[in-house]
Amino acid sequence: MAVRVLRRTVMNETTQLRVMDFDCPTCASTVERALSNVDGVQNVKVHYTTGRVEIEYDDDVADPDAFAQAIENQGYTPQPA
Amino acid sequence: MNAQPITQYYRKNRKAIVTASSGLLYGGGWSLGHFTGFDTASAGILILAAIIGGYDIAKTAYYEVTNRTLGIKTLVTLAAIGAIVIGEYWEAAAVVFLFSLGSYLEGRTMRKTRTALQELLEMTPDTATVRRDGDLQEVPARDVEEGEVVLVKPGGKIPVDGSVVDGESAVNQAPVTGESAPVHKADGDEVYAGTVNQEGALEVRTTGAGSDTTLERIIRRVEEAQEAQSPTESLIDRFAKYYTPAVIVLAISAYAVTQNAILSLTLLVIGCPGALVIGPPVSIVSAIGNAARSGVLMKGGEHLERAGKTDLVTFDKTGTLTKGGTTVADVEGFDIDDDEVISLAATAEKKSEHHLADAIVDAARDRPTAATDGGTAVAHSDATSAEHRSVPDPDDFDVVAGMGVVAHTDGHEVVVGNRALLDDRSIDIPDHIAEYVRGREERGETVVHVVRDGSVIGVIAMRDELREAAPGVVAALQDAGIETVMLTGDNERTASAVAGEVGIDEYRAELLPEEKQTVIEEYQADGHVVAMVGDGINDAPSLATADVGIAMGAAGTDTAIETADMALMADDLERIPYAVTLSKATRWNVLENVGLAVLTVTVLLAGVLTSYVTLAAGMLVHEASVLLVILNGMRLLRH
Repeated sequence: MAVRVLRRTVMNETTQLRVMDFDCPTCASTVERALSNVDGVQNVKVHYTTGRVEIEYDDDVADPDAFAQAIENQGYTPQPA
Repeated sequence: MNAQPITQYYRKNRKAIVTASSGLLYGGGWSLGHFTGFDTASAGILILAAIIGGYDIAKTAYYEVTNRTLGIKTLVTLAAIGAIVIGEYWEAAAVVFLFSLGSYLEGRTMRKTRTALQELLEMTPDTATVRRDGDLQEVPARDVEEGEVVLVKPGGKIPVDGSVVDGESAVNQAPVTGESAPVHKADGDEVYAGTVNQEGALEVRTTGAGSDTTLERIIRRVEEAQEAQSPTESLIDRFAKYYTPAVIVLAISAYAVTQNAILSLTLLVIGCPGALVIGPPVSIVSAIGNAARSGVLMKGGEHLERAGKTDLVTFDKTGTLTKGGTTVADVEGFDIDDDEVISLAATAEKKSEHHLADAIVDAARDRPTAATDGGTAVAHSDATSAEHRSVPDPDDFDVVAGMGVVAHTDGHEVVVGNRALLDDRSIDIPDHIAEYVRGREERGETVVHVVRDGSVIGVIAMRDELREAAPGVVAALQDAGIETVMLTGDNERTASAVAGEVGIDEYRAELLPEEKQTVIEEYQADGHVVAMVGDGINDAPSLATADVGIAMGAAGTDTAIETADMALMADDLERIPYAVTLSKATRWNVLENVGLAVLTVTVLLAGVLTSYVTLAAGMLVHEASVLLVILNGMRLLRH
């Protein structure tokens, strides 16, 4: 039996975290790259000056807990925004 | 003993613990080697110090390399490994320890600039007392719905944006507008979340809660402003992309030429662009954060850098240098009753939206009702003061922009306007009337003529009180070496009188609204960097034309915030010198930081090439320069 798979429109979620202990601008870009490698992450912006981390992700694929983990792996402390 | 708190403590303070352990081992290893000569033991301890302190650095370096970004941590890791390979254990441990200590301190100081704004957000209370289903309920502030009535006790913080429906109080709006003096609030007045109700109980109908409040919007905008790169920052960022690889190439070629490993490793360390990339953002973030806490919203580093070059400030007169509440000072009828002059003028002006028209119509309404028999009118006026006289509609009317109105009523043609309008229509102004008008204008009043069927029957003199702060503000700008100019639609004499009272350098009178833009463009063509101060709504085009548009009283109006480069949340002229001097200080601060960074690298480079500076010393000076630019930038938090 042929099953027609309807393409589901992906509704991206956005979330914010805050990292207060960035110690250099490159550290922020490294965290940005690490986060964009997390499954399901569509778009990331990490701001060195304010410590704000903006993540846009696909709700079905990405696990928001993995974001904090990815930041911790880089040696920084994520906090809720 | 439970292990949980220890793990948590370690996680929270990991950086401090790692740095301290690395430092202790480094000190121990060095003393052992220096005082006892147990060289092998000493070397072992120093290597351990380098590994403990360097583990996190190397891990990040690994990510940097795999992500194809070459950062300072890659350079430090390379230098430390290189030093161990050539047997310089002490240098390796010293570089790692000094770098950890430096980044720990940098992270801590940066946290201070990052939290400057959080303090503002914490002003908003978490819960609100809401009238729901007939009784009072305590609910989370963000769950309050639009239209719901919130009760605020005296001394309590207001949890939502809204308008007062009951009660009267003084509210301290400092978190939103930066004004320290409390503002009186009564029925119908707007209040903002995060402000403090100081006196009486208030009932507030909610217009915005949670993230939809003025304070939250301001903070979001301030953060966006802090994140936006200034031209200097983006220039340095582009430069840094090539700089780090260039340093690596330089170190390799230096080794190829001199065969001196220490020299090339030292080049890696001192070549890190630390102070250069950190300095400008810290200056700008600190300045924007400071401004936000004083009720001035700066739109970003680019705007700040431009504002720092301002050498001429133009002010719109009405509503900016003056209070903007024009009132009729005097009505003078010539061979006709004063009352008739104002009634006729009010009818003609009734449909006009000009602020002078509003003043005339209000004055006519407020006059005592029994106008027809002059004798009893005065006695009568107190008893019927609540009763306003009605102003009839004109049969037709036309606005002549910047000049006045022409209307018809009761079969008469009525012209209300300035001299230009009368000249335009060839209406003769008798000498004694022209004389009277001149006298009023020399006092800084704006005068309109009232003409019925071609002859002048009277004049109306209007006054717009100067803001008390205006002369002081102008003087403060002049002290800072900035030229001041007043722009107004008023005629020459009135403008000159007001300009004299304010002490302003120059004034441009009789300007039509669009001519204000032209004047600004003329100043720009003369090479001035022009800031324009206005209300943000009527002056929006001029604000956009100026290099720096400064909108006043912007707390409630999003359009003003959109068009301006800087927005003063309060209607407080005294913030202008502060904003301008802060911008100038910021521009200097950025230059100082760039200069300091370049100087440090140059001196270090010279030191390395002449073998005066080795690895550890290079690292120490480098980290010190980074801390210095951060601390220098943070001075702007206390401008």
